[in-house]
Amino acid sequence: MISNLAVLPIVIPLIAGVLAALFHKKLKVVRIYSQVLTLINTAVVTYILFYVHQNGSVVLESGDWMAPFGIVLVADMLSVALVLTTNIVAIACVFYAPKSLDEKQEEFYFYTFYFLLITGVSGAFITGDLFNLFVFFEVLLMASYGLIVLGGGKVQLRESIKYVLINLFSSMLFVTTIAFLYSVVGTVNMAQIAERVGEVEQTGILTTIAIMLFFVFGTKAALFPLYYWLPRPYIAPNPVISALFGALLTKVGVYSLIRVFSLIFVHERDVTHEFFVWIAALTLIFGAIGALSTNNIKLVVAYNIIPAVGFMLLGIGVYNSTGFTGAIYYLINDMIIKAALFLLVGAIAYLAGTSDLRKMRGLIHHYPLLGWLFFISAFVLAGIPPFSGFIGKLILLQGAMEANHIVVAIIGLASSLLILLSVIRIFIRGFWGEKDESIIPDKKAARGFALPVAFLLFFSVLLGVGAEWFYPSIEGIGEYLMNPQNYIESVLKE
Amino acid sequence: MEIIMSILAGVLFTTGVYNLLQKQMLRIIIGTALISHGAHLFILTMGELKRGAPPILEDGIENYADPLPQALILTSIVISFGVTSLLLVLAYRASKENGTDNMDKLRGSEND
Amino acid sequence: MLFAVFLPVLLAIFIPFFSKWKEKIHTGYFVLLAPLAVFIYFIPNLGNNFTPISQSYSWIPSLNIGLDFYLDGLSLLFVLLISGIGSLVTLYSIFYLHTSERLDQFYVYLLLFMTAMFGVVLSDNVFVLYGFWELTSISSFLLIGYWNYKERSRYGALKSMLITVFGGLSMFGGFILLSIITETTSIQAMIAQADVILSSDYFGLILALILLGAFTKSAQFPFHIWLPDAMEAPTPVSAYLHSATMVKAGIFLVARFTPIFSGNEWFFVFVSGIGILTLVWGSYMAVRQTDLKGILAFSTISQLGMIMAMLGFGTKAAIFAAVFHILNHATFKGSLFMIAGIVDHETGTRDIRRLGGLVTLMPISATLAFFGTFSMASVPFPFLNGFYSKEMFFTTSLELHDHSMWISQVLSQAIPYLAVFGSIFTFVYSMYLVFGTFMGEKKLDQLPVKPHEAPIGMLISPIILIVGVVVIGLFPNLVNGSFIAHTAEAIYGSPVEKDIYYWHGFETPFIMSLIVVGVGIFLAFFRKNWSSIYSFFPGKLSFNKVYDFLLDQSEKTSAKITNSYMNGSIRRYMALILIAILVCTFTVLAITDGFAWDTSNLAKITVHEVLIAIVMAVAAVSTIFIRNKVGAILILGVVGYGLALLFVVYRAPDLALTQLVVETITVALFLLCFYHLPNLRERTESGSQKAVNLVISIAFGALMTVVAISAHSTKLFDKISDYFLKTSYKLGGGDNVVNVILVDMRGIDTLFEIVVLGIAALAIYGLIKLRNKKEAE
Repeated sequence: MISNLAVLPIVIPLIAGVLAALFHKKLKVVRIYSQVLTLINTAVVTYILFYVHQNGSVVLESGDWMAPFGIVLVADMLSVALVLTTNIVAIACVFYAPKSLDEKQEEFYFYTFYFLLITGVSGAFITGDLFNLFVFFEVLLMASYGLIVLGGGKVQLRESIKYVLINLFSSMLFVTTIAFLYSVVGTVNMAQIAERVGEVEQTGILTTIAIMLFFVFGTKAALFPLYYWLPRPYIAPNPVISALFGALLTKVGVYSLIRVFSLIFVHERDVTHEFFVWIAALTLIFGAIGALSTNNIKLVVAYNIIPAVGFMLLGIGVYNSTGFTGAIYYLINDMIIKAALFLLVGAIAYLAGTSDLRKMRGLIHHYPLLGWLFFISAFVLAGIPPFSGFIGKLILLQGAMEANHIVVAIIGLASSLLILLSVIRIFIRGFWGEKDESIIPDKKAARGFALPVAFLLFFSVLLGVGAEWFYPSIEGIGEYLMNPQNYIESVLKE
Repeated sequence: MEIIMSILAGVLFTTGVYNLLQKQMLRIIIGTALISHGAHLFILTMGELKRGAPPILEDGIENYADPLPQALILTSIVISFGVTSLLLVLAYRASKENGTDNMDKLRGSEND
Repeated sequence: MLFAVFLPVLLAIFIPFFSKWKEKIHTGYFVLLAPLAVFIYFIPNLGNNFTPISQSYSWIPSLNIGLDFYLDGLSLLFVLLISGIGSLVTLYSIFYLHTSERLDQFYVYLLLFMTAMFGVVLSDNVFVLYGFWELTSISSFLLIGYWNYKERSRYGALKSMLITVFGGLSMFGGFILLSIITETTSIQAMIAQADVILSSDYFGLILALILLGAFTKSAQFPFHIWLPDAMEAPTPVSAYLHSATMVKAGIFLVARFTPIFSGNEWFFVFVSGIGILTLVWGSYMAVRQTDLKGILAFSTISQLGMIMAMLGFGTKAAIFAAVFHILNHATFKGSLFMIAGIVDHETGTRDIRRLGGLVTLMPISATLAFFGTFSMASVPFPFLNGFYSKEMFFTTSLELHDHSMWISQVLSQAIPYLAVFGSIFTFVYSMYLVFGTFMGEKKLDQLPVKPHEAPIGMLISPIILIVGVVVIGLFPNLVNGSFIAHTAEAIYGSPVEKDIYYWHGFETPFIMSLIVVGVGIFLAFFRKNWSSIYSFFPGKLSFNKVYDFLLDQSEKTSAKITNSYMNGSIRRYMALILIAILVCTFTVLAITDGFAWDTSNLAKITVHEVLIAIVMAVAAVSTIFIRNKVGAILILGVVGYGLALLFVVYRAPDLALTQLVVETITVALFLLCFYHLPNLRERTESGSQKAVNLVISIAFGALMTVVAISAHSTKLFDKISDYFLKTSYKLGGGDNVVNVILVDMRGIDTLFEIVVLGIAALAIYGLIKLRNKKEAE
């Protein structure tokens, strides 16, 4: 289907962001404006999702330049599902933001950066052109640079610079790799690249280029051994920014891996995908170890990004439709739960006045709602039924075991236990225990923080208990990814 | 010539990476700038060099240089410029705020 | 059945409302409705002509996850235990828990647990079973942590959860494998394919994974360590979860999968071996305890081991005895826990060293305790049910299957002796428990509270259970054909008919019983004289220490590992990332034979280009050595302008212009920003550091060059740019193809490139402005 629908999820936040800059000082207006526009965008994306579900992928050839010559935007189920999840996370964040940010930060274009981040992320999900993917990466990275430095002091600036440096390096590697690929296959359109790589059965230098692309995306996705840059910069800015980062940025890397290694480089799987499985195992192990290593509750959550990405990579590596289905289910689950957890620990740290677990106790007596939300989040994260994490993990492990990767599946199970331990100790040490009488509870703030989190957790429960409503569609995506011809034909239509 | 250009770009990457591995902020940023130059040179080289006229259409000329890499480089140059500018200001602010431009003194600890 | 399973949770929703009236009417009365209703709902299934019932409710059919309930003899026994004991415990808790406690939380957790437990025993779907299984761990965690202001309580809660969730996850792995092999998620359908499973390559793994789940949940050696610490929970919870129901979930699981697994000899080795070891260890350690609930906890461990061992035997008689003992154990152990709770409640302590002589003050409790402990010790009276099952245990331990593996043969030989040994200590701790508490001299001055008999409400539940002990003891066949025979049949796979007798004649099992009683009396009487043995064995050895060590190390070692590389140094991170890229990419290049070298399609080498290249290379290299910041920036400029020159040479006029402008602004910016910063210093790193950096950088540059040359040498397809050249004027309306590409064909790139610049501008503005404001404040 050719339709202009595909461009809407990119254009709406783009315009919203630009306009938000015009009245950035009028906080009351810009808050409500941002909230309303986020909701509108979500509604539009939901419509597109149903449309794509009914009518198949929507392909837009920008400027009417036929593929593969112009830039195509491809809204298939995978892209749109992820864009919708992005917007759900965005809703929670945009309602949480006024309670968490100080007014100066809001005035200095938080909402503009926020919308442009959404633009970049959505664009990256939707574009069908490899170089354009680079451009959208830059949009979302630049917006994230804007956010991470926002109103920053010592620590924040210090961590920002590390974040910018690593991302700058991987971007340069990205663009160089695109050039190499262009030299060999003579195109930058992903469908055509896939077709041409398939024609020559990924001979010669192509697999090497594939591995370089893997490192580019792996750095963004925070895989072993590339994730070092992630934990501390992610916790430096305000929690709402951490939540946006934790939920969206690494996931764009994961998405790119899924796309590239299901569509294009699938002909030398003994080298590439087999390698991913072991990288996934190492990512699981080291991520979980990292999460256990610290008493800083924000850092615990930040480290927990890593094993989750490991799980998704496992799904890509085993290369069967169950694996892809699991990876996508887990990806969606993880975007939501990571946002929820970042918002939660941000709230906890704010209310407790510290993010050092050793200095907390008995918070549940003051903030029962936050406590129970955290409790549920811990189980969602660890993949305990009946929440979304369980469904994702179940499918992923099935996929891994079907592909005879038993050892890695068991590593996955073991890491789940460590993950659970890493977060449940926050509940035990921070929430349980004697009531700390010295705390004067700020119930109103706690409620303000809790609502967006509860909104997100609603989806975690829904994706778990109501899996039947989502699973068949996501399973469809898994099967669709196993047949790259579908994508190629929908774009090139020869 | 492409091989020489590839080697030159490789040298730019080498020096860029070496600078990136230094302590001082200014050197690191110089490193990133060198890497960008290297990347752009790679793109240009990948499009084949000197295979015809500049891609500005004129009657009677059949062969032109590959225009696509040029377009990509242009986009990339502008983006790199944006990032480098931001990085510069950020580095300046970060070193002022922290009182040092030595990245090894900017490691931080668990609970700050 | 759906409603029965979820009734407790539905009720739990209303508990917060009921608890508002807790001063007038204890919340427990409302809660009582749930287990009682379930009990009454299932009781009509008892009878001689029972047939299994299954009911299915759709949930996630596309994942083969459905609420498929299956009621056979095995699940019926457990459902009745859970609901029956659940009713009694709830009743007991009404008198045990004062209304000043947070009753709403307690009962919500308790109801949550009931649903979870019903789910475990009724689910036929492995994944649903797993879900309920984890829910039992979670509700147990919450109940143990009910008094979470106590350090021990938090410790116990975490311990029980970690160990049981560990087992749960392992079991989950086993279930996934099973479901892949059999292509079904129904346990009954799996049983039908037992031969497929037994002949699978993964059978050993499946067995190990699922047994790990069962052993952790049922507190089998060496995972038993969580159970004693779980005693921090309020006593009704200990009586219910940690004695009668949840800990038997592991037993249930083994029983459920016996039809599949018992065909393999390793099943016997693991289940009976671990079971008998648990029996011995639990009873031996029980004598060492001083806390009443501690004794009971180890006693439970040991009894669970005994049941597990019998399931491992796998003979018809053994399975029957195991089932019988599940029922008996629930009766006497449940009542004993309640009495321990009464003693605690009325005297203020559970420390057996401070108790004694309570029989005159608490005559009813004492009587009940005598019945309970004598049954547990299996004193050969015809009115105590414990004796029957214990003697069956001895009998079956002598009649094991023939085994072929040497390890199972050795085990078969040892089992009867170990059984007697464990039972002797069972006898000893039973006597120690009851005599230490109720007989001997009174130590009233050591008690925090002046003791008296418990209120009648609190006594009802233990009385009912002890009546059960006696009735089953007097008329054991009452529960036989109509009840436990069905259970045994469900496990064994074919009808099990067996009469239960008191007197079997003067045979080996009876001699074993006599030995137990004789040696037991002797040891119990002289307990003080030999109890110093515990300081030799196990002495300070303890599996708790292993757990504590692991838990402690999980944080410390993680911190050590993580801090060893996550040191915040961007240089270190970059170096590690680069090394990873280098190693992997070079390896792939080598194994895929990706390197290519083709000189046929190259532009001519000209002198002025080479000169530019040399100048650029020299300039780039000298950035490393220069120490003047202005100089460095200017040299960087040389590289940039050199690139612009190359753009001119290589027919890219637009690029050259852009590069010139950008380079000029960048250099200006560099100078501006670094005007205030210190000059470049000498590079101070060590020689080895320098060498490493040098190797990394050269290798990386080389990698890029090699890949570039290879990529250039393997041009496999026509470029799409030919199309641009053809259509630029016709369709794009412009002569300058690059420009047409930028604004038309790839307009989106350009649009967002501008967006990037815009964001950068705003971010820079924010960086500068926001600071000024802060400083102004």
